[in-house]
Amino acid sequence: MTTELVRPQPDHSGPDAGDVLTLDDLAVHFGGIKAVDGITLGLARGRISGILGPNGSGKSTLLGAITRLTPLTRGTLRFEGRDYSRVRPEAVARLGIGRTFQTVRLLEDLTVRENVQLGHDLIAGARPWWRRPGKADRETADAAVATALERTGLAGKEALRPGQLSYGLQRRVEIARAIVMSPKLLLLDEPTAGMNRFEREEIGELMADLRAEGLTQLIVEHDVQMMVDVCDHLFAMNSGRLIASGTPSDVVRDPAVREAYLGRQDNDDRDS
Amino acid sequence: MSDFYFSNIVLIQSTFTVLLLALSIQIQFRMGVFSFAGAAFYGMGSYGVAILVLHYDFGAFSALATIVVICAMVGYLLSLVVQRLNGLYLAMATVAFVMIVTVVAHNGGTLTGGSVGLFGVLTPVEISVPHLLAVCAVVVAAMIVSERGAMGRRIEAVREDPELASAMGINVARYRKMSFVLSGVLGALGGGLNILMMTAIAPENIGFPLIVLALTIIIVGGSRSWIGVLIGALIFTWLPVVLEQVGTYQSIVYGVIVAIAAIFMPGGITGIVTDLYRRRSARSNADAFESEQRLEARAAEEDAAEAAELQAELASSTTPSGGSR
Repeated sequence: MTTELVRPQPDHSGPDAGDVLTLDDLAVHFGGIKAVDGITLGLARGRISGILGPNGSGKSTLLGAITRLTPLTRGTLRFEGRDYSRVRPEAVARLGIGRTFQTVRLLEDLTVRENVQLGHDLIAGARPWWRRPGKADRETADAAVATALERTGLAGKEALRPGQLSYGLQRRVEIARAIVMSPKLLLLDEPTAGMNRFEREEIGELMADLRAEGLTQLIVEHDVQMMVDVCDHLFAMNSGRLIASGTPSDVVRDPAVREAYLGRQDNDDRDS
Repeated sequence: MSDFYFSNIVLIQSTFTVLLLALSIQIQFRMGVFSFAGAAFYGMGSYGVAILVLHYDFGAFSALATIVVICAMVGYLLSLVVQRLNGLYLAMATVAFVMIVTVVAHNGGTLTGGSVGLFGVLTPVEISVPHLLAVCAVVVAAMIVSERGAMGRRIEAVREDPELASAMGINVARYRKMSFVLSGVLGALGGGLNILMMTAIAPENIGFPLIVLALTIIIVGGSRSWIGVLIGALIFTWLPVVLEQVGTYQSIVYGVIVAIAAIFMPGGITGIVTDLYRRRSARSNADAFESEQRLEARAAEEDAAEAAELQAELASSTTPSGGSR
């Protein structure tokens, strides 16, 4: 059944020379399970790209592979033309790739501000070890953290701990921690899970603002409407493979995508 | 004061050497490394300094410095050997390392003094409590720095969520290696200073009992901060003296206190204090939010009333033209 849904890689999904991130024949296998199986794509600079797909289609594994937290079985990762397929995960963050996680991962013993500061520490860590942060460094860091908190609607909640926040607010802290890293590429794994419609709209607006500033973003999300509204380009995955790529309206109308989400049309017809 | 000092000088010395021992294990726990190697480094520090002074005529400071460097190097090499181990497997591997040091001490012939151990470790410069306090002050200052700011946050991330730490650009493997090196330094300092003040060491003074002592101190005092370790070191150095009054029941009372602390104070004494502080600050934050929300709601109500008034005014002023339509 699932093999029938998998189609050959569309030609137009291939990377271009100016892409920020390119994946070439990327595969992640766990024993016999092919979580990601031969993905080739490119992310255009300054655009918001999204990955659609049903549960278990390999979207989050793909983000794990892009950030090198999940080991590759084969394939090549290039960021701004540089092959980083063999670098350690912490070096990926230093390249300028920030991310949020599918399940919220905040440090419970730290306050909201400290969790966000952890993201800014990456920039501060670029300073030579013998140079202690001066007053100007601390002021810059404080301003960056305050801006990230303001942009994500967390102003006034700095002193709280993650356990005192709703799930939606915890997601915002993750987003603030990622954007304070000043990444060149931001990977958002289900950024609006647990949020209501208004909150989703706010996050959508934040993404649009970040795009206007030139930040390239890749979003994994279940909310198809939000993906259509926010993304410039969509990729659809199923069973670890890319089944569609194009403009949001084209991808959501693609029969293979509809089939992956809703099941086969003839089955639906029979049921009705 | 001076009477108290001179009559309890051994206990005062023990408090601070035990503090260094417990910190050598706690620093690894803080970085999420479940290792007891600190107890082995304490034994190596004691025997190493004794051997250098007795067999090679080293002075107190040169022997201590040499053994600290050696233990730091051994710590680094040990971190490479066990780098793929975690949790209980790592704990068992480091317990085995402690056992190896004990076995070597027992079977080292004239070098280690065998089962009798080494005694008469006397140096021209007499190491005393002020030297020990100076070392502890430097160590505690370093601990305070490591618990605050960016370093504190990084260590927290490495311990609580190594994958997240990697995504934040933190080299988790480097922190794990660093924890073994620091454990080597602190353990060697504790053991080395202990032998220079006590002048004698035997195999029964090192090994597994040190692991139990350090673990007890960390559990009861609290594992997250140096303060917890200091409180634990104070309690478990002086508790046996206090319990002398209960005579033969001493061990039972000691055991009951440890069991109660482990069951009812999972975060140790410092954990209880931290929890209380957080609850209090959470309540005040919640109160601040509530009053802020009340103010916002009142402002919104006022805005709505003002808007309604304006609308009513507009409606009344436009009625004639509306009526003429």
